Amino acid sequence: MRILAANLKHLYQRRILWLFYAFLGLLVFLSIMAALGNPRAGKGQFVWFTVVAFLIGFIANALAIEVLTKPFSYCLPGHRKTVRKFIFWIGIVISFLGSLLFLAYPGLLSWEPILMLCSAFCANLIFYWLGIGLAFISKNTAAAIGYLWFTWFGGMFFDLHIILESAIVQCPVAIICVGLLTSIMAWFLLGDEGLARRYCAVPWVSLFDAWNRDKLQRYRKARAAIKWDKKLKTHPNPWVERFFLGRMQKYEFFRTGRYIWGGLYTTFAIIVSQWKQFVFFVLFMLAFLGYMGRLWLFMLMLLPVMGIAAHACSSVYSSMLISGGRNEKFVTTIALAATHAVLIAGLVIIIAALSVPLATIIPEFTIRGLNIAFHAINIKFFYAPLIFVPFAFTIQLFFFKKPYFVMVTVILLFMLLFTGGSLLKALSTMMNPIYLVIGLLVLSWGIFVMVLRYICMKRCLVGQGHTY
Amino acid sequence: MSSENPIVQICNVCKRFGKIKALDKVDMQIYRGRIIGLLGSNGAGKSTLLRHIIGLYLPDEGHCTTFGCDAGKLGPKELSKIGYVHQEGELIDWMTVEQLIRYVSAYYPMWNFELEEKYIADFEIPTSARVGTLSPGQRQRLAILLAIGFEPELLILDEPASTLDPIARAQFLDLLLQIIQNENRAIIISSHILSDVEKVIDHAVIMKEGRILVDCSFDQLRERFSRVRINSLSGVLPAALPFENVLKCQRSNGEAILTVQDFSQEQIEQAAQSLDCQIEIQPLSLEDIYKIVAG
Repeated sequence: MRILAANLKHLYQRRILWLFYAFLGLLVFLSIMAALGNPRAGKGQFVWFTVVAFLIGFIANALAIEVLTKPFSYCLPGHRKTVRKFIFWIGIVISFLGSLLFLAYPGLLSWEPILMLCSAFCANLIFYWLGIGLAFISKNTAAAIGYLWFTWFGGMFFDLHIILESAIVQCPVAIICVGLLTSIMAWFLLGDEGLARRYCAVPWVSLFDAWNRDKLQRYRKARAAIKWDKKLKTHPNPWVERFFLGRMQKYEFFRTGRYIWGGLYTTFAIIVSQWKQFVFFVLFMLAFLGYMGRLWLFMLMLLPVMGIAAHACSSVYSSMLISGGRNEKFVTTIALAATHAVLIAGLVIIIAALSVPLATIIPEFTIRGLNIAFHAINIKFFYAPLIFVPFAFTIQLFFFKKPYFVMVTVILLFMLLFTGGSLLKALSTMMNPIYLVIGLLVLSWGIFVMVLRYICMKRCLVGQGHTY
Repeated sequence: MSSENPIVQICNVCKRFGKIKALDKVDMQIYRGRIIGLLGSNGAGKSTLLRHIIGLYLPDEGHCTTFGCDAGKLGPKELSKIGYVHQEGELIDWMTVEQLIRYVSAYYPMWNFELEEKYIADFEIPTSARVGTLSPGQRQRLAILLAIGFEPELLILDEPASTLDPIARAQFLDLLLQIIQNENRAIIISSHILSDVEKVIDHAVIMKEGRILVDCSFDQLRERFSRVRINSLSGVLPAALPFENVLKCQRSNGEAILTVQDFSQEQIEQAAQSLDCQIEIQPLSLEDIYKIVAG
């Protein structure tokens, strides 16, 4: 089999890619419908495929890099040159097919469709190369693809699609020149002998690694090591270590307090050490939640749950042996959950308190017809994190090995919350809201403690073949 | 077998991970004053067994007792007598080496600061480096320090030397021999580097597919197997040689090399008397024994 054919096989051999194809197919269909449904010039209807080409470029290169980062592929004969062929093949075919849409562009004269075709082909190629470039500079493509949607909707909001379409139609020669130049550059860059060397065995998260905890952990470790050597060189500050170790030493050896403070040290030392950045974080959250409008309460609940679901519970599943037994792990994890809940509730109170005077000062403004106002955050919902933090810990405890299930469960939980919202409202009219809150607190903490007790006392605490 | 109580007693332990039977009715005792070599291929159940001893895993059947306490219920007092170096080498990556040592030492009243200093100097551990930036070998050395710094009564080493260079490995083996000078201690070491292990162990446990195939003193194990070189003085050896329990036989031009099992030196010498030949009896290396037993 030819090497190129072997590489192209990835495109149908990976089953999860078919999900992407279904999604891309939908986008292509929508872009064709946008162009041909009711074709009007100057409305930006014809460039949606160009944007899709960007996404295709990103995915194609992500696949190529995934192979490049595997050390074995470096030694495969003739393989290093195949990346270029693979990417160019896909790019040319996709760009050509997409450019055919411009044949239906209204008001073109006899020879103009050919020029439009070339211009659109080159525009598609330019966007395709941009997608390729983004994949090269992203170390974590799974995360990058999440951010792409913000760019997409941001572009729409600022009418970039209309600007792009008018550039293709009104400046075809310039677009063709840029397209050819970028393609020549891409040809040489992708043919670079050092490309395979630069990517061989580098920590890199591919599109489908969002579910692979071991790989994500290796990636995080590698990135963190770089960060610690540069940004966080002075952290944690010596006073932070002195503080936590001092607290630990206030308790006798083998007393539970020592383990609780030890757990707090390993969990919060870096955060406490960077307390100055905390001020910026509060300001950022203040702006974010204030401008979220009615969604702020939802975000207030979602953010801590997502954060904790992603990072907590290492104290339960740690295989680094210290003298704490299962009981100490149980108590320490409860203390950690309580500390998280209290800190987040405190943060909500600070943000809410600051938002009240700010809401009266900050004026409303309008961007492109959209009215943007800063809303005060209702302080009475400070208890929300106290209810949701234990849920987040429970989800984490159950699905520690499977981040995919963590995400699915968080989404299900919030769907349940939305559907159950009316039930809660009805309940709050029937009974005193304070009792309702107390009831929810007891329920969430009760479930968390029961699950934690079960896991700490009855389950294996490290996985087979996993680093926890 | 020692008359005193074992510090670890594993009785009829079974453990499954889904369809895989990781441990199958395992029985084992660990006595003080021993260095036990736990040998087996990948997936034989060595790490699973070690994790049962410290209570990270709980058995599906049977029970495991460590320091007289059910391993699943080990408390700080018992755990402060156990040092554990695990093959994954999980440490707290954001701390510097000295911060991590200070943090871990805060849990142990018996932490030996002199030993710590000596070990750091001998093993050239960079104390100001961030743990996350250490090489695998340096990381392993640090993990060993954290496991021995409080002079544990039971030291469990799961692939401790896999990433160490030959000099560090030699130093590490010397260290194990120093530790075992105190007869109150026991060391259990799981490793694939059998040439290293055989220099220090006095007891061998060989596992395969979750079962213990051999559990005896290393001397007994070595006595069970031997290699006999027979050279015929007349230049011809008879077609049938008068040896029993022959595991392997290589013959060429009046010379034969036999690997025999459960055939004592006296029996070999007696059998050889009937032949007009010279014999040479050699003990087998641990690696050869392992291949015979687990192969």
